Amino acid sequence: MLLLDAETALLPSRIQMAFTLATHVLLVPLGVAMPAITLLMEGIGLWRKDPVALRIARRWSVVMAVQFAVGAVTGTILSFEFGILWPGLLGHYGAAFGLGFAIEGWAFFLEAVFIGIYLYGWNRLRPRTHFLVGLVLPPTGLLGSFAVLAANSWMNTPGGVTIQDGRVVDVDVAAALFTRALGYEFWHFTTALYLTAGFVIASVYAVAWLRGRRDHYVRLAFFVPFAIGALMTPVQLVTGDLSSRAVAVDEPTKYAATEATWSTQSHNPEVIGGFIDSSGQIHFGVPIPSLNSFLLGYSPDTVVRGLSSFPANTRPNVVEVNITHLAFDAMVGLGFVGFAVSLWFGWALWRKRDLPLSRWFYRLAACAGAGAYVAVELGWITTEVGRQPWIVYGVMRVGDAVTDAPASFVWTMLSVLVVVYALIAFFFVTLLRRLAARWRREDAGGSPEEGGVPYGPRPQSIEGRPEGG
Amino acid sequence: MNDLLADLIALVLLIGITAYSTAGGADFGAGIWDLLAGSSPRGREARELIDHAMAPVWEVNNVWLVLCIVVVWTGFPTLFQSIFASLYPLFAIALIGLVLRGAFFAFRHVADQPRARRMADLVFGISSVVTPFFFAASLGAIASGQVGGHPAITALQASFNPMSMAFGAVSVVATAFTGASFLVGDARRYGAGELVSYFRRRVIASAAALVVVGSIALVTIEVQAPSLAQRMLLGPGTPFALVTMVLVPLVAFLMWRSRFTLFRLLTIAAVGSLVFAWGFAQSPYLLPGRLTIEQAASPQSTEILLVVVTLGVVFVIGPAMGFLYYLDQRGELESPE
Repeated sequence: MLLLDAETALLPSRIQMAFTLATHVLLVPLGVAMPAITLLMEGIGLWRKDPVALRIARRWSVVMAVQFAVGAVTGTILSFEFGILWPGLLGHYGAAFGLGFAIEGWAFFLEAVFIGIYLYGWNRLRPRTHFLVGLVLPPTGLLGSFAVLAANSWMNTPGGVTIQDGRVVDVDVAAALFTRALGYEFWHFTTALYLTAGFVIASVYAVAWLRGRRDHYVRLAFFVPFAIGALMTPVQLVTGDLSSRAVAVDEPTKYAATEATWSTQSHNPEVIGGFIDSSGQIHFGVPIPSLNSFLLGYSPDTVVRGLSSFPANTRPNVVEVNITHLAFDAMVGLGFVGFAVSLWFGWALWRKRDLPLSRWFYRLAACAGAGAYVAVELGWITTEVGRQPWIVYGVMRVGDAVTDAPASFVWTMLSVLVVVYALIAFFFVTLLRRLAARWRREDAGGSPEEGGVPYGPRPQSIEGRPEGG
Repeated sequence: MNDLLADLIALVLLIGITAYSTAGGADFGAGIWDLLAGSSPRGREARELIDHAMAPVWEVNNVWLVLCIVVVWTGFPTLFQSIFASLYPLFAIALIGLVLRGAFFAFRHVADQPRARRMADLVFGISSVVTPFFFAASLGAIASGQVGGHPAITALQASFNPMSMAFGAVSVVATAFTGASFLVGDARRYGAGELVSYFRRRVIASAAALVVVGSIALVTIEVQAPSLAQRMLLGPGTPFALVTMVLVPLVAFLMWRSRFTLFRLLTIAAVGSLVFAWGFAQSPYLLPGRLTIEQAASPQSTEILLVVVTLGVVFVIGPAMGFLYYLDQRGELESPE
């Protein structure tokens, strides 16, 4: 304990932030994109007078709300962690970096209110009114993701501030919100959210298909979200390519890390996999000659700047470079796999006017949700680890922002949080499984049961409430 | 111009804290009564009521908390740095309490076995006490003047002192008071007559407790921060302090006579005025004796954006929230499943 007290809290703070953010980012795709997909389904139900579509939309709205509640909890934790772990970041740059969060706070507020109305309004509002109320949700979700990405972009390409004696004396609000990185981060991440939400929802029904359910319900609930995810995959490859090329200019150390490029050179190979050692040697990687230079500048003569051209204390260390490089490669690989599955889907629709019939397609589709989640995590690792050692690129180091609290305090908090998150995850999964089981019973003709969700029905009187749940 | 803007932002912050103390307080208070309900048949009924009263607005109140945080770091960054540098122990405990509370409230509905259910009840109840106590303790620590000053004051000294504990105690009693009052309203709405008198008695008891604990807290403030006490009793905080002193007994009186006119509004006004009494007594200081609103304020353009966003909220979220509560109170909202 005493020994730990003497350390700085940098290591546990980084682990805690990574752990809590890695969890929260898993909740973001459904939080932002699920309302739009649900509304699309509700719209189909209203337009084609299809009660099955309406039933699907209704069930999705329950999942959406439970998910939102969990995201609200993990998001609250994150906002406090900025103070508990990184007081220096907000203390110095809150006036600029905080702007995005100010907008996000209110967007989140609006979303919470309208999710409440949407969820509880199914039975009482007129169908058209209910649908119109729901239309508020997708823009608030997008506003929220714009705001958070504005803050993250500010960390990658800070701007819009005038600093005197280490203090922010003036802020150009528009310039601080719309920094260079926002231009690509917003499109790349928003596409990722819709892609992931689509594939995650569809994967549930791909499993149902594999288990033998082929009715209208399963086909519709698979088709709509999967189509959205599939449409996003080519867009994602393009925005990813544009992002990567922009990062080469905006954050050259991050770019060099993603490509594991050690020396500055033309005809730079694209190294697939492998790892780099402290002398710049690549082990086990598969180099494709000149491809990196070609991708960056459309010509093999393009010079790529290597890590060794930066002072060691301004670029990620070897471990961080390897994490960034492998995460980046895996993300791109998953992107191409997703694109291939989407092509299969599109080909079947085009040639046979029907969903694919092969079990292998549904096996892949069942994995697409998990794959998309992994890709989101990898992309986030790429941008955060690749920025090291900076918390604000070129301006403030992670070590200068960290709390003065003793390391033992942060280790303790981290362990408590790990236990609490495990509990939350367990409750969340149990709740979803229960909902699924109940819905399966209902579809099989069983009577609907009450209870089991925190969003239970409201009885008119306490005495009238059945026991259980 | 910038001073005015900064004052406006500080007012928004105070309103945010007040909203969290009252609306969130009603939620925490319900959790406290849940903890104290025991396992008698009447206690079980009370728990059922608490469950159903809380379900639709389960996570909405946390939004106030996030808003306060965001307003502080954007509007007053140096304040944010100072309070977290000094008070991280309090915030860490409150935060973990908050999360456990939310998680175990959900778990109550998933728990199958009676033992698991009892455990969930217990964690939910205890964290409903811990969370408001430690959030309010941070305000007490700030008011005591221990934050952001001498480097010799350790985080533990700044966090745990008589005033922080006194603020914490007041908030627990005040949330119990608010919670009981709102549960009277919910019991009436569901037509559960016996629960109405059950919670009516608890409003009266917690009003009495609030008077006692509040007086002790005032003495503590008088000893540790005499100038703040003076400004609460003979200064800018006075009108609000008076409102609280009148309204708390008034609500108890209304409950005693079973008069149910406007009692929830009066409860909110009573507790909200208490927060305002502290806020106005401490102004223009964010950190007493060390940092004023003006000194801590962000550059003007940031403050303008905050004000614009806030106005947007007043005009968009205000009506939306009103609509939600309107539908809720009229029983127009019903679970889809």
